[in-house]
Amino acid sequence: MASIAAPTPSAAAPSRTGSNKAFNDKGKPMEVRLSNMVAAKAISDAVRTSLGPRGMDKMIQTPKGELIITNDGATILKSIQALHPAAKMLVDLSAAQDVEAGDGTTSVVVLAGSLLGAAEKMLEKGMHPTIIAESFLKASQKAVEYLTEVSMPIDIRDNTALLRAATTSLNSKIVSQYSSTLAPIAVNAVTRLVTPTSSNVDLRDIRIVKKVGGTIEDTELVEGVVLNQNVVVSHGGPTRIEKAKIGLIQFQLSAPKPDMDNTVIINDYRQMDKVLKEGRQYLLNICKKIKSAKCNVLLIQKSILRDAVDDTSLTFLKKLGILVVKDVERDEIEFLCKSLGCKPVADVEAFTEDKLGYADLVEETSSAGAKVVRITGVKNPGRTVSVLATGSNNLVLEECERSLHDALCVVRCLVKKRALIAGGGAPEIHVSRLLSQYAQSLKGMEAYCFQAYADALEVIPTTLAENAGLNPIAIVTELRNKHALGERYAGINVRKGLISNILEEDVVQPLLVSTSAVELSTETVCLILKIDDYVQAR
Amino acid sequence: MSMNIFGAEATEEKAENARLSSFVGALAIGDLVKSTLGPKGMNKILQSGSSGDINVTNDGATILKAIQLDNAAAKILVNISKVQDDEIGDGTTSVCVLSAELLREAEKLIAQRIHPQTIVEGYRIASAAALQALEQAAVDNSADPARFREDLVNIARTTLSSKVLSQDKDYFANLAVDAVLRLKGSTDLEHIQIIKKVGGKLTDSYLDEGFILDKSIGVNSPKRLENAKILIANTSMDTDKIKVFGARVKVDSTGKLAELERAEREKMKAKVDAIAAHGINCFVNRQLIYNYPESLLAERGIMMIEHADFEGVERLSLVTGGEIASTFDRPDLVKLGRCDLIEEIMIGEDKLIKFSGVAAGEACTVVLRGSTSQMIDEAERSLHDALSVLSQTVKETRIVLGGGCAEMLMSCAVDLAARKVTGKKAIAAEAFGRALRQIPTILADNAGYDSSELVSRLRAAHWDGRADAGLDMNEGTIGSMKELGVTESYKLKRQVVTSATEAAEMIIRVDDILRATPRRREAV
Repeated sequence: MASIAAPTPSAAAPSRTGSNKAFNDKGKPMEVRLSNMVAAKAISDAVRTSLGPRGMDKMIQTPKGELIITNDGATILKSIQALHPAAKMLVDLSAAQDVEAGDGTTSVVVLAGSLLGAAEKMLEKGMHPTIIAESFLKASQKAVEYLTEVSMPIDIRDNTALLRAATTSLNSKIVSQYSSTLAPIAVNAVTRLVTPTSSNVDLRDIRIVKKVGGTIEDTELVEGVVLNQNVVVSHGGPTRIEKAKIGLIQFQLSAPKPDMDNTVIINDYRQMDKVLKEGRQYLLNICKKIKSAKCNVLLIQKSILRDAVDDTSLTFLKKLGILVVKDVERDEIEFLCKSLGCKPVADVEAFTEDKLGYADLVEETSSAGAKVVRITGVKNPGRTVSVLATGSNNLVLEECERSLHDALCVVRCLVKKRALIAGGGAPEIHVSRLLSQYAQSLKGMEAYCFQAYADALEVIPTTLAENAGLNPIAIVTELRNKHALGERYAGINVRKGLISNILEEDVVQPLLVSTSAVELSTETVCLILKIDDYVQAR
Repeated sequence: MSMNIFGAEATEEKAENARLSSFVGALAIGDLVKSTLGPKGMNKILQSGSSGDINVTNDGATILKAIQLDNAAAKILVNISKVQDDEIGDGTTSVCVLSAELLREAEKLIAQRIHPQTIVEGYRIASAAALQALEQAAVDNSADPARFREDLVNIARTTLSSKVLSQDKDYFANLAVDAVLRLKGSTDLEHIQIIKKVGGKLTDSYLDEGFILDKSIGVNSPKRLENAKILIANTSMDTDKIKVFGARVKVDSTGKLAELERAEREKMKAKVDAIAAHGINCFVNRQLIYNYPESLLAERGIMMIEHADFEGVERLSLVTGGEIASTFDRPDLVKLGRCDLIEEIMIGEDKLIKFSGVAAGEACTVVLRGSTSQMIDEAERSLHDALSVLSQTVKETRIVLGGGCAEMLMSCAVDLAARKVTGKKAIAAEAFGRALRQIPTILADNAGYDSSELVSRLRAAHWDGRADAGLDMNEGTIGSMKELGVTESYKLKRQVVTSATEAAEMIIRVDDILRATPRRREAV
């Protein structure tokens, strides 16, 4: 008998021309579907408790033994080593939300888990998965419509609105008590990059420099540029230069090393002196050229082939009164050029004054143990922003950066799509209510699916309430009641533990975060629903 | 006592056993992919055994390519599906399922003691009748551009409705038709580039004229360029290393070493000068461009793009009409690429470079967005299917109706022909008709409808003379496929029937399977 490596065939069944089996008689597809759902829901449960302002944090130990503490959904999921295919899809889903909106990475997974739960119940009733999938997609379109309807358009120049959105995002993070410090930073950083016509912001133009030392409160938006690197002080060079002329070089200040294999042959000891002298002369020449271009701050790109700068040249540079920063990465060059208005120089011959950038002050300051190089008063600065993030230890600092990134994304979302909606579960309840109303006007399976979809949306307010230690049933039903009475902005006030008009609490989020969460999670759920087999491939 | 005729591990399966083994294998494959057929078909997860990567798909060819098989007949089915993929691009599941159904019928006939050769003869008569009926039913609307476009959109919609893009099929059908019509009759899908970016939803995907390169523009070069003259190169812009092994120089002082270094720089400068002498304002290199040449080029105001990959460089040369150069001594001999505008665009979080108004006007790019990478991969496969079917249809413009209509039409024709045949062949011909009817049956089964009811109604409708009747998968009833706009390419259907028949015939005629001794592998 032949053997088949593929999954066992469902027995060469007799022709099914005459059969009239109902769909759910097929055992295997159902089994595969259920296994997918169990896995997906496990993932969603794993991050569920970190949703909302009273969400808990997760401690993750990486395979290398490093520790991460976070409540950012995307970060948690990235670190989970999901094996199950369906689980992997949810991890991807969260990553996609991170790209699209930057925030709401937890909500999107929680929502997907809830939708799958709803679908599972309908599958058990014998409904066809494709019908569920199609109805869900239609429902999501309708949901987006309702969300857009309840949103409030904003003016991008209106800083208070942006501030409110950024604060809401930060409030659900570990660093929530510093939201009053971080939110203005996020808003200012993005608004500096925005022109009235721009429809997107490249967050790579915002640089977050992390320094351990001080507290998160000391985090600041720097006028000018902050460097990751420190000034080289081993030879006693200056650490403060006023009226700085900044040169960015991509060549090396060390003994020459051509790309060919080479050997220096020294036949007798007199030549030894000569070689050393020539080496010094060579470096001195370069340093003098740099000085003659009136450069007094030198940023040196890292080199892998040889020392970017050696001791001899450091001594010369010190004597010439030039401040030196080394180990600038190649991918930083573009950012630095843009922000300092200088041009990188790859050859000493081409080192001329017009390629230098000008700044009023370059200074290394030290506050609370963290040494930072600041470049302020830059002439012709480009559209870039530097943020100096400080924190008492690495864990806090990393989380602070992630939260700041989320807040930046939130503000960016508002640039992409200039509308805000309420937070605190208000929009979800609103959409859920309207969807179930709409479902009543439909007929057949579709109506049932719409209703299920509407119910699934309630997972967000339920989870918010659960995480805040409130009674979810009492809260959600009260919320529903308020909405039915026409209070469109009633939401869960997590801090006070009651229902109130959430707009008055300044809890708002960008429309894009919510719509993209709804759309992306539905898309993924539909893809999972349509799977009926699992094939081990090569 | 038995004699050992074959080698130690070579095996032979004879007559009944051989047939059984090939039938079982082929049927298993058919059953595996059959649930992906049609608009309500299901997806499969493919998990790679080695890397654990997952793939969600309902494309027959992709599934079949991925599974590991140890059955000769099953491999034949996989092969015809591959051929279908190469020739037409779609219908890969149908061909496999039809072939399996033909074999299922054959198995029953053999159980009735009908000789395999007789079955083959009957199948041949039947397939000839089926193809004739199909050709008669085919319509050609290519004379009227508006109607032809409508046909194309319908074909794309039909193809896409069985894929992950079904919800947005109108959007993507138009997108695919626009892309294919730009090709102006060429079937070279190389001109249509598909870029995948995670994030956003499927309908955020769009068709863009021109070419998009997923790379970034070098430091300090202009970020926007009009009327670009592009030199596409594959040359090392790091250092001209002497490639002779063990080349080394001996110097006796540091000064000489510095001179050597200077000489190297001069050489690079000369190379950059030679490149600039082409009168270009954009330089694209497959390899890295190091800092020094980068700053030299930037000084001359030349936009440079480094590390553009083989694929990127080749496509760029295709669409801009430039040649890939690697020596720069004769500027007059190098053909430069041209385009109206080069600019940076942002998709999701990434910056890409867009070349618009390129020399090859037919080139275009489809940017696909979606929630997960599986989604986008599947979307790409679906779109590729649609594009290849469309490009084939532009060549062979005849169309037939889908939704089980064409199959039922052929089945009726086969039944009619079978009546005139004398002898046992007639039974085989009838069996062929039954196998064809299995396609609408599976379509209905997959959608969870009552297949026997629907298919018998469909057959009655066809005998009644309603030649455009097919399955309306949304309503679960019989409807006019012409009105619903469910159309398929004639070439696709013909190919499905011919290759499925051929494969089935080939497998039926097998009465002996010989397996050679597996090649010995040295123990590691």
